[in-house]
Amino acid sequence: MEQRAIRRFNLRIREVGRVFCSRPTSVTALGVLALACAGSVPERGAPHERVVSLAPSITELLFSVGAGSAVVGRTRWASDPPEALAVPSVGDGLNPNVEAVAARRPDLVILYDSPANAGPAAQLRQLGIETAVFRMDRLDDVARGARLFGALIGVSDVAEEVAARFSAALDSARRVPRPTDRPRVLILAWDQPPIVIGAGSFQSELLDLAGAENVFADLAGPSGQVTIEIIAERNPDFVLLTGGVSDPSWGSRPEWQAVPAVRQRRFVIVDGSEFSYPSLRALTAVRRLRQALAEARE
Amino acid sequence: MGKLVFATRDLTFQFAGARTATIRDVDLSISRGELVGIVGPNGSGKTTLLRLLLGTIVPDTGSVMAFGHPASQWKRRDLARRVGVVTQSEEPAFPLRVRQAVTLGRYAHLGPFEALGAVDRDAVAAALTRADAIHLADRWTATLSGGEWQRVRVARALAQEPEVLVLDEPTANLDLRHEMELFELVTDLVRHGMTGLIVSHHVNLVARFVDRIVVMHEGRIAAAGQPNDVLTLEVLERVFAWPLEIVRWDDVPQFVPKRKSSVR
Amino acid sequence: MIRWSALGIAAFAALAIGVLVGPAHLPPGTVWHAVLGRGDDVTVAIVRDLRIPRAVLAFSVGGSLAVTGAVLQALVRNPLADPYLLGLSGGAGLGAVGAIALGLSGTWALPAAAAFGALGAIILVYRLAIVAGAVLDTRILLLGGVVVSAFTSAIVGAIMALSPAEQLRNALLWLLGGFDGASWLTLTVFAAYAVFPLALLYRASRQLDLLSLGEEPAAYLGADVEPLKRLLYVMASVLTAAAVAVSGIIGFVGLVVPHAIRMLWGHTHRALLPAAFLLGGSLLAGADALARTVFAPLTLPVGVVTAVIGVPVFAVLVRRWAS
Repeated sequence: MEQRAIRRFNLRIREVGRVFCSRPTSVTALGVLALACAGSVPERGAPHERVVSLAPSITELLFSVGAGSAVVGRTRWASDPPEALAVPSVGDGLNPNVEAVAARRPDLVILYDSPANAGPAAQLRQLGIETAVFRMDRLDDVARGARLFGALIGVSDVAEEVAARFSAALDSARRVPRPTDRPRVLILAWDQPPIVIGAGSFQSELLDLAGAENVFADLAGPSGQVTIEIIAERNPDFVLLTGGVSDPSWGSRPEWQAVPAVRQRRFVIVDGSEFSYPSLRALTAVRRLRQALAEARE
Repeated sequence: MGKLVFATRDLTFQFAGARTATIRDVDLSISRGELVGIVGPNGSGKTTLLRLLLGTIVPDTGSVMAFGHPASQWKRRDLARRVGVVTQSEEPAFPLRVRQAVTLGRYAHLGPFEALGAVDRDAVAAALTRADAIHLADRWTATLSGGEWQRVRVARALAQEPEVLVLDEPTANLDLRHEMELFELVTDLVRHGMTGLIVSHHVNLVARFVDRIVVMHEGRIAAAGQPNDVLTLEVLERVFAWPLEIVRWDDVPQFVPKRKSSVR
Repeated sequence: MIRWSALGIAAFAALAIGVLVGPAHLPPGTVWHAVLGRGDDVTVAIVRDLRIPRAVLAFSVGGSLAVTGAVLQALVRNPLADPYLLGLSGGAGLGAVGAIALGLSGTWALPAAAAFGALGAIILVYRLAIVAGAVLDTRILLLGGVVVSAFTSAIVGAIMALSPAEQLRNALLWLLGGFDGASWLTLTVFAAYAVFPLALLYRASRQLDLLSLGEEPAAYLGADVEPLKRLLYVMASVLTAAAVAVSGIIGFVGLVVPHAIRMLWGHTHRALLPAAFLLGGSLLAGADALARTVFAPLTLPVGVVTAVIGVPVFAVLVRRWAS
């Protein structure tokens, strides 16, 4: 799981003015960079006060560790917590509009770690803005992210407490023994072509914690395109839909009738952003999922 | 005289965007069993006239009839069974064998689902033999010389078993022997009842073979009639814009272009 | 005779493979029983309701695309023509991606949108290519098709750039082509759109041979050139729109299969068109079977498989042809 946490941590000392750029500063920068590449959080560096967050998961986590006042920019999709809506939107998180981000005058931009963001991240650095990239795909990333952001914003104490509490709750949830008659569930992300969620996604983890089995747990990645045929063969007990759509229209298409769970409308429907990305509300999500599954089984 | 194959009256046509009319006030008639030659310099409208006669171009004013009906109203299939045309040049998009290429001439006689029969195969073989191309039958058309390709296309027109043969600059790529053989072939066919229409800029050769000659100049007919009557120095020097000398051969006038030094 | 038998065997084999092979590993005996309706519900459903219509649909679409490619090559007298070059599938892709982006729902939203998009592009290219009174200039057809293709690609790019990441990925995957939507219903709808154009195009085989010579020689040999060109274009458009609506954009089949047949068979359309249909169908049914199984449980988009197969095959063919 280590490699899934901080992929790349770039720090660059902001130039106060070119005329003041001196060798000592550069050496310090190199030293910090060396420490950063080793993957640890540097003790030095002033806490950042103006942060643009380019992923809803990151935005929510920042607010959760008490750093919400430092957030000066969010993506248009970020809507949790409700306080985040008061923060101006800078547009998309993937391949973001660099100008819109820079216009918020941040001292730190946190981007989702994806190849689409490599270019914009480099552009921001050229503008003298520090960037950090982070990927939150799994539940373990939440605590790690909380600690990291805490250090960056200078709220390490609060962040550490939040992270520790979450980790403890997660650990005890994980220690609950798996029931013997677990329902077998398909998590379907898209119908045509059929895209299912695999073990590499936190949604699969939520399902596992809720006492169910992901029929595509053998897929290591977060998602994958499959055929209806193999879904039919695996014959899930339920189909989990996380978008909040109550009657998926594709369910009436003739080719999907080969899957008994679809034919008999055995859908489990949940909605809310805690199902869209890993967050501190994960355990609430697990509870809701467990409840929805129990209701469906009746 | 016989029935008229082609007849035009006051035929006028201008290409969109052209400064002057390509064909102007042309009155022409071609009767069954005739061999007619149309001569003239480049740009005098010879090919356009052919297209008008065959109905692939519609005139601006005037009329053009083929076999008694307006040329452009003929169904192409019906016309193809009666008229075989060899155009000036042709570039097939895909490679063909010669035998296949000549077989295309039979399509006008076949229904869409009808298979080729012995009649068709015989017609193809006969046409290839007549055009002295039978030895080329299994060659790819792309490997033929210009002259060989021309003879293959003549064979294809013959395979249509037409009543009328129309040839546009048929000897452009032919060597002397094949040139003479082509004219002899056409003459022979006409003698056996076919009607022939040859467009060429070889005035001399045309004059020796045809029954009637039509001289075109800037879209109009400068002269039309029997070669002996119509081919005069005055007409031809004007039309071809070059000093000429007349000699006689085969009982018809032949024209020799003078050189600049002899004029001086 | 031998060649037709070989094609027939290939066709049968491709269809059989499409039914026997799949990510749900079913032994042949089980498959056979399932075909007859015996066995457990899910297995029977997989074989009868998923695999059989899918294999037949893939075959039909592959065959139609190959025929369309051959016909368009004769129409524009260019061996590089295929339905995608003429802008037909660009329009369909635009319609489909637009529908996904607008979140249009309903079973038939996507295919209908694709069909409308294709028709839109077709009409646009046709209008561009009609010059001075009802004459279809095939050079403009070719150029117009390339331009419309580029235009639709640009719009699709714009839509995808403005869409949320998930929709983007889904739109892209749909565009890459696939037969996941195959069912007896889809097959029937496709057949309804394809049978008539295919029959008309076969009927025009002789005229297609003539058209390859050039428009003027074709006319003198008995082809009604203008009505023929219109017919060819319209029928090719209907077939392409139906194919894209049902299975997204699948390349290479319309380009490579006619060439393979031309090299092995010649250019006479009476043989070329049916042979192309059989080979194209076999190719696509085989490619779909491969797409479904090679990385099971994951599926590749069919368009990827046809490209991966198509490019080396084409290279081999071109080398043979050049020698």
